[in-house]
Amino acid sequence: MNNSLPLPATVLAIRSLSVDTSLITLRTESNHPVSAAFLPGQFLELSLPGFGEVPISYCGLPSSDGAVELCIRHVGHVTTPLKDAHPGDVLAVRGPFGRGFPLSTYFGQALLLIAGGLGLAPLRSLLLALLKQRDSFGRIIVLYGARETGALLFADELLEMKKRGGIELQLAVDHHDQCLDGPPGCRVALLPALLDQLAVDPERTFASICGPPVVYPYLVSGLRQLGLGNVQIHLSLERRMKCGIGRCGHCAVGNRLCCIDGPVFSAEELAGIEGGFV
Amino acid sequence: MVALCIANSNMAFLLERLQQYGDVHGPVRGDDGVVRFAALTPGVLPDLSAVRTLLSPKKYLLHPLETILTYTELSGYQVPLEEPRHLILFGLHPCDLAGISYLDRIFLGDDPDPLYATRRSALTLIGVTCSPDEFCSCQISPSPLEAASDMFLSSVDDGFAVTSTSSRGAELLAGVKELLVERDGDLPEDTRFFFGRATSIQERPDPDPALPEWQEYAEHCLGCGACSLCCPTCSCFDVLEFGALDGGSAERVRRWDNCLFKSHAQVAGGMSFRKNRAERFRYRYHHKYRGFGPLQGIPACVGCGRCRVACPTGLDLRPLAEQLEGGGS
Repeated sequence: MNNSLPLPATVLAIRSLSVDTSLITLRTESNHPVSAAFLPGQFLELSLPGFGEVPISYCGLPSSDGAVELCIRHVGHVTTPLKDAHPGDVLAVRGPFGRGFPLSTYFGQALLLIAGGLGLAPLRSLLLALLKQRDSFGRIIVLYGARETGALLFADELLEMKKRGGIELQLAVDHHDQCLDGPPGCRVALLPALLDQLAVDPERTFASICGPPVVYPYLVSGLRQLGLGNVQIHLSLERRMKCGIGRCGHCAVGNRLCCIDGPVFSAEELAGIEGGFV
Repeated sequence: MVALCIANSNMAFLLERLQQYGDVHGPVRGDDGVVRFAALTPGVLPDLSAVRTLLSPKKYLLHPLETILTYTELSGYQVPLEEPRHLILFGLHPCDLAGISYLDRIFLGDDPDPLYATRRSALTLIGVTCSPDEFCSCQISPSPLEAASDMFLSSVDDGFAVTSTSSRGAELLAGVKELLVERDGDLPEDTRFFFGRATSIQERPDPDPALPEWQEYAEHCLGCGACSLCCPTCSCFDVLEFGALDGGSAERVRRWDNCLFKSHAQVAGGMSFRKNRAERFRYRYHHKYRGFGPLQGIPACVGCGRCRVACPTGLDLRPLAEQLEGGGS
């Protein structure tokens, strides 16, 4: 397979999720691995012709009809012009790349999903995969924090999942004055503080984390206090990944390359690695 | 032992004959005194006594700036077609041969890079013995990388003993046979034997970021990136895309990048994962002496000494490497 060549992908829909973030649904070749065979936590390289290519986490589930959901924050040289994308526009994709969350390890276990801001994108993919086989897992607890209520992504979807009894959910925002118009149950708290009053079975719980790197050390130490071992904690890292196939040299974390050995690493793998948690 | 030898006086004829098989490039000393890999056209002889060229031969396999994809609305993204052009690199030192075998490990394999693979398959490598100088470190750090070539020239009195080390090399050797004479005598030991001996380095914990040496080195490093430019195994590249004014076509290029530059670890939104120079310096060290990803355990330094010559502040990583890796291990 030639992993260097992007496949055309047509924009099916674009939905605004917040002031700077959208959910873009693409359609590419049916039954191609880029849309049909990925694990939550893996990523693809998304091209906007004339602007370039960026790594984006999968946000939805694999599909056989070529549909791909991507949650895009419009902040970069490619993602900013994507704000003006319309259904019918032709982009391009290649992938899937990297190592995702170890879904098979999660079978029979309780899951603690912790997302900060845009970090919900890959965890939504994981959450949808877990709910698809809901009976195969124990408790599914979602802790989700964002700067302000307007920046909480997929809040309605998460509340709906909670209503149906599929998940336990805690939402939080950083700023007090922004919480009044927030979704029900939303607190003012920083993400690591949500762990304080949590009770889990440390023997049977795995934590999957994606968020701003600055909270990772606090989350890992909070989880350690709950009794989780480093091998039970998985974190998705962000790095500059230009090629996705281990060649461009930008994304090393210790001895490992984020694009092929990650972006999901266990806290065990990152322990003692410079920059692993930061 | 009987060896096939080329006399120095026959070198011009040998090169002329090789030109029938493709373009021949080798180390040429320019009017400015700088030795570069350049075309060996009739009348231009290689400087086989030069210890090193300014840039490594990686420039033939990975161009400093090159189009990797073209885009049109009609055909989408396409890999540009490049006619393979036979190129013979003449006079490569074992360190440069090892450098090419390192790049092969990155860019060939299960999913070969199309441009690299095309150029590599059209490349013939002719190595030559050398005498390491005070900047070289091939002799102190055995490398698992092999110094593989198609033909090899070992220095003997008044010329070189010529051996072929691949079928392509045998074909060339047969083509130049009447220029060679048989001579008795042992071949001199050559610096190829510094390469391919170690299997891989032993696993060690990552170097301690708190060591004061990092800061000391970083304070002398200007972050200019000259070391990476001339390094035979530095192959980081950035990817850029340029849309044409017609709005319907584009070119995607890759450009040599440099891990000593701030932008190397920057992501959208301005966040950088290696904010200070010591972190960037350590990243480069890590790659040169420990290796990343599939090549972890394989040091990327082939000991050519170019970085030490190029560094405007004369930084030398060898003492640090001896301290952290253990000299000669």
